[in-house]
Amino acid sequence: MSRIFEFLFKYRPLVFEQGEFAFGAPGSVRFWLMVGAVVGAGAVASYTLARGKSSVMDRGIMATLRVMLLAVLVFALLQPALILSTVVPQQNFLGVLIDDSRSMGLEDANGATRADFVTQAFTPSESELLDELSERFVLRFFRFSDVAGRIDGPGELTYDGTHTDLAGALDAARQELAGLPLSGLVMVSDGADNENEPLTEALVPLQAAGVPVFTVGLGEDAITPDIELGRVEMPRAVLEGSSLLVDVVITQRGFGRTSVPIIVEDELRILAEETVDLGADGEPVVARISIELDRAGPRKVRFRIPTQPGERVQENNARDVQIEVRGEREKILYFEGEPRFELKFIRRAVDDDENVQVVALQRTAEAKFLRLDVDDGTELEFGFPATREELYRYRALILGSVEASFFSHDQLQMIADFVSERGGGLLMLGGGSAFAEGGWQGTPVEEVMPIIMQESTGGPENFFAEVKVTPTLAGLAHTAVQLNEEGPGVAARWDSLPPVTTVNPISELRPGATSLLLGSSDALPADQIVLAFQRYGRGKSIALTVQDSWLWQMHADVPLEDQSHESFWQQVTRWLVDGVPEAVSVVTDQEQVEPGESVRLTASVGDSTYIEVNDASVTAKITSPSGSVEEVPVDWTVDRDGQYEVQFRPVEDGEYEVEVTAMRGEEVLGTDVTYLHTAPSNEEFFGASRHQQTLQRIADETGGQYYTPDNIENLPEDITVTGAGVTLVEEMDLWDMPILFFLMLSLMGAEWAFRRMRGLV
Amino acid sequence: MAQQAPQQSPPVARPNGAYDGRQPRMVEGELPGKYPLYWTRAIYSGYRGGRSWRQSWATDYPKGDQQFLVVLKRLVRLNAYDWDNAVRLDDPQLRRFPVLYAVEVGGMDMTNAEVEGLRGYLDAGGFLIVDDFWGSREWDIFEYNIRRVYPDRPIIDIGIGHPLYSAYYQIEEVMQVPARGRGIRGRPTEECYGCRAAVRGMMDDDGRLSVIINFNTDLGDAWEWAEDPYYPLRYSTYAYEMGANMIVYAMSH
Repeated sequence: MSRIFEFLFKYRPLVFEQGEFAFGAPGSVRFWLMVGAVVGAGAVASYTLARGKSSVMDRGIMATLRVMLLAVLVFALLQPALILSTVVPQQNFLGVLIDDSRSMGLEDANGATRADFVTQAFTPSESELLDELSERFVLRFFRFSDVAGRIDGPGELTYDGTHTDLAGALDAARQELAGLPLSGLVMVSDGADNENEPLTEALVPLQAAGVPVFTVGLGEDAITPDIELGRVEMPRAVLEGSSLLVDVVITQRGFGRTSVPIIVEDELRILAEETVDLGADGEPVVARISIELDRAGPRKVRFRIPTQPGERVQENNARDVQIEVRGEREKILYFEGEPRFELKFIRRAVDDDENVQVVALQRTAEAKFLRLDVDDGTELEFGFPATREELYRYRALILGSVEASFFSHDQLQMIADFVSERGGGLLMLGGGSAFAEGGWQGTPVEEVMPIIMQESTGGPENFFAEVKVTPTLAGLAHTAVQLNEEGPGVAARWDSLPPVTTVNPISELRPGATSLLLGSSDALPADQIVLAFQRYGRGKSIALTVQDSWLWQMHADVPLEDQSHESFWQQVTRWLVDGVPEAVSVVTDQEQVEPGESVRLTASVGDSTYIEVNDASVTAKITSPSGSVEEVPVDWTVDRDGQYEVQFRPVEDGEYEVEVTAMRGEEVLGTDVTYLHTAPSNEEFFGASRHQQTLQRIADETGGQYYTPDNIENLPEDITVTGAGVTLVEEMDLWDMPILFFLMLSLMGAEWAFRRMRGLV
Repeated sequence: MAQQAPQQSPPVARPNGAYDGRQPRMVEGELPGKYPLYWTRAIYSGYRGGRSWRQSWATDYPKGDQQFLVVLKRLVRLNAYDWDNAVRLDDPQLRRFPVLYAVEVGGMDMTNAEVEGLRGYLDAGGFLIVDDFWGSREWDIFEYNIRRVYPDRPIIDIGIGHPLYSAYYQIEEVMQVPARGRGIRGRPTEECYGCRAAVRGMMDDDGRLSVIINFNTDLGDAWEWAEDPYYPLRYSTYAYEMGANMIVYAMSH
C-alpha cells in the first residue's frame, strides 16, 4: 500500500507527516486563486452559453469536470512543496543496537535464522542497507543481551546471550553516545525481553533528549507448531512434607484441542505426571498440578512436556524451578479462652506433622492456664505473652473463643503488630467469644481481620446456625482447602462432609480479602463466610467462623478412614506459617543464573521485635559448589530501613549456599540461609516469537518507526527526514506528483467519455 | 439480627419414658452445638445387680449429672450445657458429644450395635469415662464388654505421674470415693471386701488415652451428694477435682 502511495504522491507518507506544506510560485496564493477563478468562470460561461442538443444538466456536468481539471492545473502551477528538516549527511551519529541473545539463532518458517538477517543486512560492502546508512550517518554498533556494549561491527556478534534486556540496552547506548549529534538509535531484535526491567525508565530520557528509536522486529509473530511450558507459580520455600498446588501456564500453536503429558520430577524421582487438555490454538491453559515435597534442602524441580512431533522449539518445553524445602519445626501459638473440643481435635490433626508445633495455651479458669507442647517450664509461664519478644517467637497465632477484654490494649495492639510488622499469620476461630460476639469490634485486631464484623448477636441463644460448607472458586484453587483431593474431587469431598455450626454471623468480606469457604443454610439471608483471608502488612490474617470443625472428624457421617479433618488442619497450619519472615532473612534477586551472571543479595535485618536495624554488621558467607568459601560484607542500602545488599557473580555450575549473619556489636541478631543454582539457561527460548507491541511502543514513544525485514529499505530515508541531530531545511517539490497527472487525464477522459455517452461529439 | 438456625439434623435420641420418667432436658428437635460441652451419659443395655433387668446406666441420673455440672461450671471456665444429656451407644448422634460418661458398668450387657457404636465413637476420637463399679465380678463383666469393643488393647494403670492428674488440679493420690452412706462413722468406703480404688485406662492406636476407668470408686455419688452434710467433704472434693481434671484432659488431648 505504501509503495502505491509513494508512486502516486512521489514521497512516502512519513515525509508528508514530517513536512510542512507550502507553495513555491511567486505572488500570493490569493492572486493565483483569483486567476484560477477567472479562468474557471470563463470555462463555465463557455459551456453555459453554448447551444446545441445538450441539456442543462449535460452542460453542468461538463462544466464541473472542466473546472476541476483547471483547479488541478492551477494547483500544479502554484508549485506545491513540502518543507522539512533533513539530517546533514555524515554529520550525525546513528547507534545500531543488535540483539546478541540466543533467541536470534532460532529458525523462522523460511529456514533462515534471525541472525542470518542481521548478517545479510549489516555486512559491509554486501548490504545495500548498510551502505545507505553509512553514506548518511556515522554508525556506532552495539550488541546487547543481558548487558550491552560497543562493538566494531556485526562480525563480533556471537548470539549466546542468556537474557535480553531492552531497557538496559537503550540506556547503555544513550549514555555512550551522549554529547554527540545523534540522529537516533536503531534497535534490531525480536523484542523478547526477559529481564523485566521497566521500559519507561529507559524511554523517558530518550524522549527528553529527542532521540528517536527505530526498531526492527525479527522473527515470526507466532511460532507454529510449538508448545511452550510458560510460567510456573511456585513458592521459593516451603516446609518439608508440604503439598503444593502448582499452576503451570502452557501456551501452544498447532496443537489445539489435543492432550499432552506434563511430568514433574526432581533429581531423584517423578513427583507427578498428569495429562493436560490444551485449548484452542494460541489460547494459554493453566494446568494445576499437585506435588508433595518431603526431603529437606534446596531442590530443583523440573516441569516438562515431552517434545511433540514437528515442534519448532524444543528448549521451551521444560522449566526448572528452585525451591528450598525447610526442615524446621515452626511454632504456632494456639490460645483458647475455654475448654473446647476444637483444641483437642486440632492438636490431634497436626500431631503427625513434624514440621509444625502447635503450642496450646488454654484458659481453664481466671488466670489459670493449661499449657501443652511447650518447650520448657518457662514458656507461657504467665499466660498469654505480655511482650513482643515473647509473642514474636511464634510464627503464627490462633485465637480461639476468647473475648477481646481478656487482653490489655497493649496486647491487642501487639497482636495486630504481630501480623503487620512481624509478618506472622493470625487465625481467629469462631466461637461464643470470638469476633463481634467476643467484643473484638473496635479493637486494633478488628482491622486485621479479613471479614467485617457485624453487631454482636449477644450469644448462641440469639444466633446459632448449622451450615453446609462449600469451597468458592478461589477455594478450589487454594492449597489449604484441597483436602488431599484433586480437581473435581475437591468439591465432592467438601460435599460429603457434614454441616458444622456457627454462632458468629459473618457475611461480608473486607475489601481485598478472599473467601475460600462459604456456608449455606436456608435460614440465613446470605451465605456465611466460613474461611477467608487477606494480606495485612507483612503477614496474613485468616478467619474461620465455624466453631466445631471437629465434626468433620467425629460426625457419624464421616467414615473413620476419612482424613479430611486432618488434611484441612495440616494445610491450614502450614499455610499460616508459610512465608512468615525471620528477623534476619536473605533472598537473591534470581533463583537460577548462568555462571558469570551477576546476582543481587538482599538481606532484611531486624531485631527481636522485628524493628529494622540500620547499624548492623552483616556478612554473607558464600559457599560454592566446589566447597570454596568467600565472605563478603553486605552493606546497608541507605534508602530502605533494615535492607542490606551486595552483588556477587557465581562462576561455578551447581548449588551455591549463601549464609547471612547480622550482628550488632556482640549481639547476633540472626542468620539465614538461601541457595542459588547456577546452570546454563534456556530462558531465551521462552516467549521467543516477535514481540511487535514492545518494539512498536519503543518506536512510538520516542518518535521513531517500527520496521520489519520487509520494509527495512525505507529506514535510511526515514531517519533522514525524522531523525534528530544536525539538520538542514529542504524543499521537496510536489507539482510533479504523478497523482496530479493522473487526475488531469482522468478528468479529461471523463468529459470525453461523457460526451460520447450523450452523443455530444 | 437474631436468627434461629435451621433444624437439619435429626434430634438426639433419648431414652423413652420407661426410664422412670427421667428425660434429658434438650427440647425435642434442638440441635447440639450451641455449647462447647454437653455432659453426656451413655445409655447401654444392661441390668442391675443381676436379679432384675433394670437400667444400670441410669444410676444417679439425672441428679448426679446436673449437680456435677453446677459445681463444675463454678470451678472451671466451662461453657457447658446446663442439663443432663443421655444418649444411646448405638445412636449416630453420639458422635456429636466427644466426652461420654458411663456408670455402673458392672451391669453392662451391650448389644452388638452398641459395641459397634462405642468402637466407632472411640475410633473417631471420642473419650469415655467409666465410673462406679466394684469388685472383680463387675470388673469381669465390664472387661468382657470392653473386650468386645477392643479385644486386644491393653488396660493399663494410670499412674499418678500422668498428665491427667495435673490437667487442672494437682492430684497427689488416687482416693476411693464411697457411695452415699459409706465412709462415715467408721464405715468402710469400699463396696467389696478389701478392694482398692484404681484409675485405669485404654490407649488408642496412637498412644493417646481414650478411656478412663474409675474402678472401685464412685465419683458420681460424691458429685450427687456433695451438698449432703453427712457426705465427707474430702471425698466430694477429690471427686470434683478428678472430674474437672478428666473433663479438661478429655477436651484437650
